[in-house]
Amino acid sequence: MGTLTIGIFSSLIGSMSFDFTMKLAEAAVNKGHKVNLWFSGNATSAAKNNQKHLKDYSTGEKPLKALLEKGVEICTCEACTSARGIQKTDAIEKIQWNAMHWYLAKIHHSDRVLHIGGE
Amino acid sequence: MRLAVFVSDFKGMVDTLERLTAEKLGIILVENGVYHAVIKENGNPSQLLKKSANFYVLSEDLATRGLSSSNVMSNVKVVNYNDVVDLIFNDYEKLAWL
Repeated sequence: MGTLTIGIFSSLIGSMSFDFTMKLAEAAVNKGHKVNLWFSGNATSAAKNNQKHLKDYSTGEKPLKALLEKGVEICTCEACTSARGIQKTDAIEKIQWNAMHWYLAKIHHSDRVLHIGGE
Repeated sequence: MRLAVFVSDFKGMVDTLERLTAEKLGIILVENGVYHAVIKENGNPSQLLKKSANFYVLSEDLATRGLSSSNVMSNVKVVNYNDVVDLIFNDYEKLAWL
């Protein structure tokens, strides 16, 4: 089994890349791989709690929590998240807050890295 | 190097792909990139499919757009998310996103 780290910069609404990332992460972790997710840019909006579930989107808070329960490590860029007015008290529990060095450290220890840029 | 490139948009990316060299090149069509696998222009397949590479298209993104795997070009393999995970870990060592 290997380790996959994915960096995602796109947000859920308006881009399908976030949706793709969540589904790929789920498939990888279900196969027994270790998965790390780094949220930066607009993707950090996914760290907010109390998200409304939209039936047309398969991802959101509930699937994100399911990934966390399966052992996926998720970290949001603290600067990007705070810049969008989201505080740690408003965030989904177990999502880590850190700076770019978290992402770089995970990349360094990963077998595969997929960096998905923003819109 | 074994390189897999995720193509996520339907626009000319041949110039970009030409700059990528690899011993083994895989092109995985996802999101709007799946249109490369099915649409013909003036009777011709996408220029992207002329590149020397192994081509894959994500079945879920085809279905999302109302496209059938029966319309996929013969040199493109239809894969699901589980297959993509296996491609990532077993067939390619470096990944890029376009």
